[in-house]
Amino acid sequence: MNAPGGAFHFGAELAGQTSRLMLYVLLAIILMTLDHRAGWVDRLHRQAGLLVEPALLLIETPFRFAESAWSGLRSRQQLLNESAELSRRMAEASARLLLLEDLRRENIELRGLLGASQQAELAFHPAEIRQVDLNPFSHRVVINRGRRDGLRSGQPVIDAFGVVGQVDEVQLHSARVVLLTDPDHALPVVIERTGVRTIAYGSGLNTELRLTDLPMNVDLERGDRVVTSGLGGGFPAGLPVGEVADITRPTGEAFARARLQPLGRLDRSRHLLVLETVEPAAPEPVVGEADPVETIDEEELP
Amino acid sequence: MSQRDGGVGLLAATLLAALALSLMPLPETLQPLRPHWVALVLIYWNLEGGRLRTLGACFGLGLLLDLVTGTLLGQHALGLLILGYLLERFRARIRFFPPWQQAGVVFALLLNDRIVHLWIVGLAGEGWPHWTWWLSPVVSVILWPWLFLLLDGLRRQARQRSA
Repeated sequence: MNAPGGAFHFGAELAGQTSRLMLYVLLAIILMTLDHRAGWVDRLHRQAGLLVEPALLLIETPFRFAESAWSGLRSRQQLLNESAELSRRMAEASARLLLLEDLRRENIELRGLLGASQQAELAFHPAEIRQVDLNPFSHRVVINRGRRDGLRSGQPVIDAFGVVGQVDEVQLHSARVVLLTDPDHALPVVIERTGVRTIAYGSGLNTELRLTDLPMNVDLERGDRVVTSGLGGGFPAGLPVGEVADITRPTGEAFARARLQPLGRLDRSRHLLVLETVEPAAPEPVVGEADPVETIDEEELP
Repeated sequence: MSQRDGGVGLLAATLLAALALSLMPLPETLQPLRPHWVALVLIYWNLEGGRLRTLGACFGLGLLLDLVTGTLLGQHALGLLILGYLLERFRARIRFFPPWQQAGVVFALLLNDRIVHLWIVGLAGEGWPHWTWWLSPVVSVILWPWLFLLLDGLRRQARQRSA
């Protein structure tokens, strides 16, 4: 019943087994430490990603088929309702966009007049979360855009409600996105009402971000909106991040703490947008628009 | 009954299916309940099929699971190593336990696996998991008899076909 020779040298075999266990455990611990501290294992991890990617795609296929079969079965009435709802929202959003477009043009002109630096233009890559669930502790999701679509590590990822995270590992047809709530993630933010700048850290829980280095006398209230500050250059300024859920000022400590409720639907969104900052084209057009104003002024002066 | 029946093909297929099930999308509320498929399949093959009995196999399988789920490289590997060691240590006894007692052992092994994970997650500085996280071994044990019967059936079929 036992392995050959097992019954006879049980003690010796056990000792060998235990020492092998210790060896492997040591190996696992070394691997984890290196991986956690992001050394050369990082590169290994990325290369293994190349092998894993096709496997993930393969695993995803049946679930994608199931989903498309399911959507084929949905009733006509349901689809009609959904379509009506979507076109209503579309009309609303495009009306709002028209106003915004006007403001944007005005803003560019004003910036041109002030001689301020141009705001970077943004391009959007729509992406969908792949039908695979990773480990709940990894705070990462896999999206269906990759290097082929021009994604790079570090690009911001948002959904319709706020910031979700940023691109981490990029493979050919897919990429992993680190969510804001990853304990290793930090995001420079600003409190919209007061303009106080701080950093939002991931908490490891997918409904919570932490502000841990606020001054004790900070002006902060429940419900304050927190947006990206644009410092650090990774994220454009002004993207909604979260709302303050509560604030505590522990006695005897140097800093006040606050908890944020993320606005992006980290655990529920299927559709995401990857932002790409496009360097603004040469600023001539704005200068050209600004010039006539000055010449008119000069003509009017005499 | 020989120790090494059930082809390599069946072994590979069941392991692949276990990996796929580990990545299967589930609604958010059900996610913590996801059974540890790979461990269940590993336990079955060790006890009944006489395969995957070396620590190296457990380690490799764990690393593969780490890679596809994107966990810390070595986390599942350590979990499965300890599980494999305990299984091998008490294998002769567990094999002759009545089914309900065997299920108890499976539950204990999986609970221990969760504790190992908790330890690693704690050292890596992540938060204490939600209490539902502890329900996964319970779900696994509920599924264990069915998985056992299914794999037994598959293995018998494979044997009959080859005979």
